[in-house]
Amino acid sequence: MTAVDVAAPRTTRPVPAGPDRQGPRRRRAGRVPFWLAVPSLGGLAVLLVYPTIYLIGLAFTTSSLARPLQRWSGFDNFVEANRSLAFNGSLVRSVIFALAGALLQLALGVGLAVLLRARGPRLGVAGTLLLLPLVTPPVMVGVAWKLMLAPVGGSFTGVWEALGVPGFNPLGSGPGAFATLLAIDAWQWTPFVTLLVFAALLGVDRELIEAAQLDGAGAWRSFRSVVWPAILPTVLAVALIKVVLGFKVFDLIVVVTEGGPGVATILSPYEIYRTGLRGQYDMGTAAAETLVFALVVGVVTAAITAARHRAVRDQ
Amino acid sequence: MSVMPLSRRQLLRAAGLAGGFTLLAPALASCGGGGDTEALAADAAAEPKGVTLRLMVNQPHVTAFTKILADRWAAETGGKIEVTAVPYDQLTSKQILDVQGGAGEFDVFDYFYFGLGALVDAGALVDLTDWIGGQSDLDAGDFLPSIYDPYTLYEGRRYGLPYDGDLHILFYNKEIFDRHGLRPPATWDEYDAAAKKITQEGGGAYYGAIVQGQQVPMILGCSFINRLAGYGGTLVDGSGAPTLTSDAAVAAAEHLIAVSPHALPTPLQIGFDQANTAFLSGQGAMIDTWTDMSLRADDPSVSKIAGKWGVVSLPVGGTNTTPRTALDAGFGLGVSSASRHKPEAAAFVKWATAAQQNLSQASTAGAGIDPNRRSVLHSAEYAKATPTAAQVIRQNLDGSPLVWPKAPSAPKILQDLVDQLALAVQGQQDARTALRRAQESWERELSR
Repeated sequence: MTAVDVAAPRTTRPVPAGPDRQGPRRRRAGRVPFWLAVPSLGGLAVLLVYPTIYLIGLAFTTSSLARPLQRWSGFDNFVEANRSLAFNGSLVRSVIFALAGALLQLALGVGLAVLLRARGPRLGVAGTLLLLPLVTPPVMVGVAWKLMLAPVGGSFTGVWEALGVPGFNPLGSGPGAFATLLAIDAWQWTPFVTLLVFAALLGVDRELIEAAQLDGAGAWRSFRSVVWPAILPTVLAVALIKVVLGFKVFDLIVVVTEGGPGVATILSPYEIYRTGLRGQYDMGTAAAETLVFALVVGVVTAAITAARHRAVRDQ
Repeated sequence: MSVMPLSRRQLLRAAGLAGGFTLLAPALASCGGGGDTEALAADAAAEPKGVTLRLMVNQPHVTAFTKILADRWAAETGGKIEVTAVPYDQLTSKQILDVQGGAGEFDVFDYFYFGLGALVDAGALVDLTDWIGGQSDLDAGDFLPSIYDPYTLYEGRRYGLPYDGDLHILFYNKEIFDRHGLRPPATWDEYDAAAKKITQEGGGAYYGAIVQGQQVPMILGCSFINRLAGYGGTLVDGSGAPTLTSDAAVAAAEHLIAVSPHALPTPLQIGFDQANTAFLSGQGAMIDTWTDMSLRADDPSVSKIAGKWGVVSLPVGGTNTTPRTALDAGFGLGVSSASRHKPEAAAFVKWATAAQQNLSQASTAGAGIDPNRRSVLHSAEYAKATPTAAQVIRQNLDGSPLVWPKAPSAPKILQDLVDQLALAVQGQQDARTALRRAQESWERELSR
């Protein structure tokens, strides 16, 4: 490499007459002085670099809540995480929850958005109703659902009796509790998907759809060949957001199932909380679990991001 | 020899790393050395007047502090208390974090005794040994022997005073028992049989037993340890080694599993509040729970079973024929090492655990406080407040209840135990497997 590589590119703009105030170190077009970035770099260091280094420090040391960073422990915390009752399973459950939840909500959300778009370009009262679950705090959502599903005195008690399964308790079995959490999460977040996809549908050129229909395409074919390719980048972007939100689910678990029954609904964020702050106070292992979980989240979200890039490029 | 040019990007990376380590260094220095405890002098003088003490307390105790103690403390000393209630499953961690995190907002901690080792290890509690020795009016000899040392003594030093003498006894709904022609159970086998019969004949209107199975030591741990005590078992032996694979422990876990299908659905979802509500509303025929239930059960404003309940000691099992309970939960009051008013905080601890205050709290429904002193336990006033249960409570608190471990690792090993038990109750493993796995965890942790 030579000095040529780092020299300022030639500009086609006319150089103003008179003395050059910037002297020989003329700035490149579009660049700002380095010192202007210092506050943001400082913020980045405080908010990102320091916690990350501290997290790594915890993961490789014997660290309790009371005494963090006691001594170097190599990979002992990762071994402990691997040996723990719930962590490995929690990774699997987190991936399933995030992906299944996103797929379920995308299917419902896209369907609802298409139906609403068929009514017209305005949401009206439906928009307000859709916002209600979104603006309800997750803790309130969890409490409400837990009360409704209570096996004794819950508002679903009569429903189960009418369906011929008196005393049914969906939170009483592992698969039931996991499915219930998925359903509650879908109840809260499907409107979010619906609103974003509806906005994308508004951007689809109606003339293209009409042209397709003139060419004999039915409703399904018009959707598949015209509408879907147009909204796919948005749908994948929403999928990415939903997967990330699904990985982060914590408050619902705390309120509705507390990870039970057994370990059936212990997802990774809840397991990390349990290890670090509830009962065990093992911050070293909790940090190791956090790093492993971050790796898993990174792999899954990278795959979705790649799929979205491909979709955008193909378009 | 060529010199590599240093780009701005490389410079930024280096500066970022250097900055990060610079920031980390003080944290390493300050955090790694925690855990030292300080002692309060025997002659530390307190001037409570005008001082506001901040208390972190167990959520179910909030009424005792705000409705009973706060006004009296203000009237007697001119001091003030501010109370912050914390859910029971977060109490110990919040107390450690308050000190270790540097916030130091609190002066007095209402602490779980099985978290004592963890709190001392964190340097969160002031050593009160010398100070207690200097308090001639403390009357330490009046504290119940069954709870004084377990609640306050750790490695030969005393870090608090007993506040809430918690243990479990068995409450039953007389009306339901009479309806089904049953007598209160004396053994865990009789308990299981009664639970099954009542649930089957109750047709879903009520259940034979309320089993508290929320997956935290204070709830599911109690349910297991009650049965373990009844079978004459222990958690650790005389040398401190775990004994979770003993025959008594296996029998206790098997009983816990066996009764679950006949208990209020679903045991693993049932915590303290749900259990109390269910029993007081007549939805369950039996509940092993804390003694202050006797005050609530006779309070018509919260109870539909006032005058229709009875109480006995916890059942026994196996070769054990002597009823024995366990020190389930149980609280002491200690002084936070981060307090800026340590003498005043210690004075409050002494005052709040005195006989007069304890009697007021232990006689008030909803306060959630049980006797901590012999003079209170055997007083006519306490017997008058809880006429049905006083005799049973006396027998058990005067006895030799099973004590939970309180080493620094106690919160972790107890959580490991209830995690394994929860899987067994759920049907994913048998009792022996659950206890073997818990035993391995305990051996690993306690040998560190």
